[in-house]
Amino acid sequence: MEHTPQKTAPKNSMPRNTLLLAQFEVKKMLFNPRGLVALAAFALVWLLILLYPISSASSFLINPDFRGIIEGIFGPDAVSELFKWPVAELAVYWIAALYIFPLFSIFVSADQFATDKSRGTFRFLTLRVGRDSLFFGRFLGHIALQSILVCLTVIATILLAANRDMSLLLPALISGLIVTLNLIIVLLPYTALMAILSLYASSARQATIYAILVWAAMSISIAIINNYLPIISELKWILPGSQISLMINTQGLQTFMYAPVALVQAGILLFLGKVYINRSAL
Amino acid sequence: MSLVNCKGLSKSYGDKKALSQVDITLNAGSPIALVGPNGAGKTTLFSLLCGYITPSSGEVSLLGHKPGSAELLGRIASLPQDASLDPNLDVLTQLTFFGTLQGYNRKNAQAEAIRVLNLVDLADSAKQKPRALSHGMAKRVAIAQALMGSPELVLLDEPTAGLDPANAKKIRELVKSLAGTTTFIISSHNLDELEKLCDQVLYLEHGQLRQSVSMAESQHDDYITLTMQGCESTSLIEAVLKLADISSIEERQANQFLIKHNSAESYAIEISLLTLFKERNWQYKAILKGRTLEEKLFS
Repeated sequence: MEHTPQKTAPKNSMPRNTLLLAQFEVKKMLFNPRGLVALAAFALVWLLILLYPISSASSFLINPDFRGIIEGIFGPDAVSELFKWPVAELAVYWIAALYIFPLFSIFVSADQFATDKSRGTFRFLTLRVGRDSLFFGRFLGHIALQSILVCLTVIATILLAANRDMSLLLPALISGLIVTLNLIIVLLPYTALMAILSLYASSARQATIYAILVWAAMSISIAIINNYLPIISELKWILPGSQISLMINTQGLQTFMYAPVALVQAGILLFLGKVYINRSAL
Repeated sequence: MSLVNCKGLSKSYGDKKALSQVDITLNAGSPIALVGPNGAGKTTLFSLLCGYITPSSGEVSLLGHKPGSAELLGRIASLPQDASLDPNLDVLTQLTFFGTLQGYNRKNAQAEAIRVLNLVDLADSAKQKPRALSHGMAKRVAIAQALMGSPELVLLDEPTAGLDPANAKKIRELVKSLAGTTTFIISSHNLDELEKLCDQVLYLEHGQLRQSVSMAESQHDDYITLTMQGCESTSLIEAVLKLADISSIEERQANQFLIKHNSAESYAIEISLLTLFKERNWQYKAILKGRTLEEKLFS
C-alpha cells in the first residue's frame, strides 16, 4: 500500500473550514461558465452606467433640469444632501449602486445552496465540515465576491473623477471608501435572506422567484399595516432594503446612519439561516 | 464502544414509515452487509447514520456521538446514492478541496486525492470534469472520495451497481484489502458479492430489521448446498436420500440442491457424495458447506 499523506491542520477547526469554503466559493464563481456569464452581464451594465451618467455627472448635478428630475422622483428635499458630495461622480454612483447592487445581489447569491442541495453535492461535504461552517462559509464567499465587484466599480468611478480633475483624487478616495463600506453593509441582509431562500428552493431560479414574492408580499403587507395601524409603522424596518431610499439623501460619514438597520437585519437572518441548515435534510 | 448503535430508530415521510423501530448494535471489524428489497429503508438508514436527515424518533450514535457532530467529522465517510460532484470543476480540484477540509494542507490534500484515485484506477481521469466520466467511472470517483483520509467507518450504498464485472471485482478487492483498518457497511442487491465480503448481514424489509445473520455461523449449520453440472434430479434425490445421515434433500433451483444432514463426522457426507458421483459418472459444479446467503434470507 502507498504512503498516506499526513494531515497538518488540527481536525475540525471551524474557522479554518469556514474560510476554506468561502475561498472555494469565490474561486468557483470566478471560474465557471455560469459565473462568468453573470459577471459579463454585470460588467456591461456598469460599463453603460460609468460611460454615460457617471462620466458626465458633474455637468448633470449642476444642470437644474437634472436636479428637477431627481427631485421629481425622490421628492423635494429628499436629495438635498446628494448635491453636497465633494465628487459628483461618486454622488451619481451612490444613487445607482444603492439600487443596482441589492438587485444584483438577489441574482448572484440565489445559488448559495439550491443547486448543490438538489444535486446531493452537500452529502460529500457534511461528513467533512459542520453545517455551521457550510452556511457561513458560503455566505462569506458570496459577500466577498460582491465586495470585489463593489470595489471594482468604485475604483472605476474614482478613476473617472480623477481623469476629469486630478485634485479630486484624494476626496474621491475617501468618499470611495465610505461608499464601499456602506454598500457592503447594505448587501449583508440581502445575501443572508438569499441564503435562507436558496436553502429552501431547489434551484437558483426558484430562489429568485421566492425573493420577488417575499419582497412584494412584505412590502404590500407593511403598506397595509401602516395604513390601518400606523402605530406599528416601524415594522417596515424588518424588510431588507427598507433604509435604501433614506440613504440616498445622506453624504459623507452620515451615510453610516442607517448601517445598524442592515447589520441587525443581517444578524437575525443569519441566525435563522444557521438554525434552518442544522434542521434541514441535505 | 460500539461503532453503530441504533435504538428504536424510526423515520417517517408524511404517512409513510420508511424505517420503524430499528435496533442495531454493530462493532468495528469485518464488512457488514445491509440487504433488503427496494424501498425497504436501506438508503434511509444510511442517510440517518450519515446525519443527512434526522430521525422521527429513536436514537442513533456512531462511535458514541450523534451523526453530524463535530467529533465525527473526517472519521466517517460515505458513498451516497444520487449524489454527484460539481459538474463545473475537475475531479482533482474537488477531491483536493475535500482533503483540505479534512485537515490536510493543499499539497498533501492533492497527494491524498491522487492516492485514492489510484486505488480505484482513475488517476488518469483526475483532470476531467465529472460530466466527461461514464456512470461507472463517476461511481468509482465517489468511492474514492469516501476513502480519503482513511476514515474509521465507510458506508457504501450500492457500490458496485452499474459497474462492469472487472471493476466490480476490483472494488470488492479494495474493500477486502482495507477492511483491516476501516469498517465498511455495504448495501447491495448482489448477494453473492456480500457473501464473499461480509461476515454479518442485516436484512431490512418494510422499514424493519427482520434478520441479522452471521456468515461465520453458517459454517456450523448442518447443510450442504450442491450444484450439479446437469443430471437427472429425481435419480440424484433418490440416490442421495439412500446415503447415511441424510435428513432431507430438495431441489431449490435448477441443478441446485439443499441437503440437510445430521452427520457428526467431518467430511463423511462430502466423501459419500463424491463416491456416489464417481459411481454414477455425474459431474458436479460446487459443493458448498452450509447454505447460500440467499437461502438463509429467503427460505
